Amino acid sequence: MGDRKALAGKVALITGGSRGIGRAITLKLAEEGADVVINFFRKKSTAESTAQEARDRGVKAHIIKANVGEPEQIGSMFDEIESQFGRLDILVNNAASGVARSALDLNDRGWDWTMDINARAFLLCAQRAARLMKSGGKMVSISSLGSRLVLPIYTAVGVSKAALEALTRYLAIELAPRGICVNGIAAGAVETETLKLYTADPNLPQSAWQTTPAGRIVKPEDIAELVAFLCRGQSNMIRGQIIVIDGGVSLTLITPKTGEN
Amino acid sequence: MSVEETLKKIVTRVTRKPEVAFSPGATFEELEADSLDIVQILVALEDTYDIEIQDEELQEIKNMGDFIAYIERKIGEKGK
Repeated sequence: MGDRKALAGKVALITGGSRGIGRAITLKLAEEGADVVINFFRKKSTAESTAQEARDRGVKAHIIKANVGEPEQIGSMFDEIESQFGRLDILVNNAASGVARSALDLNDRGWDWTMDINARAFLLCAQRAARLMKSGGKMVSISSLGSRLVLPIYTAVGVSKAALEALTRYLAIELAPRGICVNGIAAGAVETETLKLYTADPNLPQSAWQTTPAGRIVKPEDIAELVAFLCRGQSNMIRGQIIVIDGGVSLTLITPKTGEN
Repeated sequence: MSVEETLKKIVTRVTRKPEVAFSPGATFEELEADSLDIVQILVALEDTYDIEIQDEELQEIKNMGDFIAYIERKIGEKGK
């Protein structure tokens, strides 16, 4: 009895679950005993590799290709989950994309692309997921500090993440009577390949490492641990919260100027 | 349909600029394809030919001629 894993018997969908932060979440949930559905967009071989790593942890793993920016592809993905598993216990809205431009350089297509994948997808996934979830279901959205801080060329992503966080709160209240917990995680700079796309400074990871109060930059595994916690019963009284995981760096960013009016 | 014809069709559809001349010597910039267009072109090609395009390998591609050769190589590798 004592060996039963915390998420044994659960089925978890991780959007964008094949690489980076998503991969770490997939493997952590598998380690905790959940069967995993790995959504991917382009790299099937990477998704297959992550699925095999999950299976090596003793769970079922299924991959589904879908661009979560396309409503019909989200629909097909959930049809497949329903036919393969007949249920869903955990939804991790992790897939993200975005056009890296300043506000004045953004066009409508870039805006829509970013909003559709980062914000609308969670709405559409949550609507379908809720129908497959029983009381005890968990949803976790992965946001970033760019939702509240202003970062270079991060406009579209930052705004989409702000929408994602607001949606997380609304879903948390709307789904609470059904016993479904919804929370979010706002990460600071995380040591992934994507980080390199958003900074002209190739030394950022090292720099962040040096200035983060916790002494190192956030790793995908740190986020995965927090997701796993939010998927366990112990977190049931946390509802609609966006938990910041950044090693304390956001608390040190504002240095008030003194002696000026 | 040849790879060149398929690529031309996809580029024209994605960029929505049929007036821009597609040729083997043209660059993405000359075709007025932005980063979002390029992602959509890559996805369309991957779906059409059931191949995986490695983004880092695209660094070597200078124009559509290079890109066509790259796609043909990927298709060939798939058959092996």
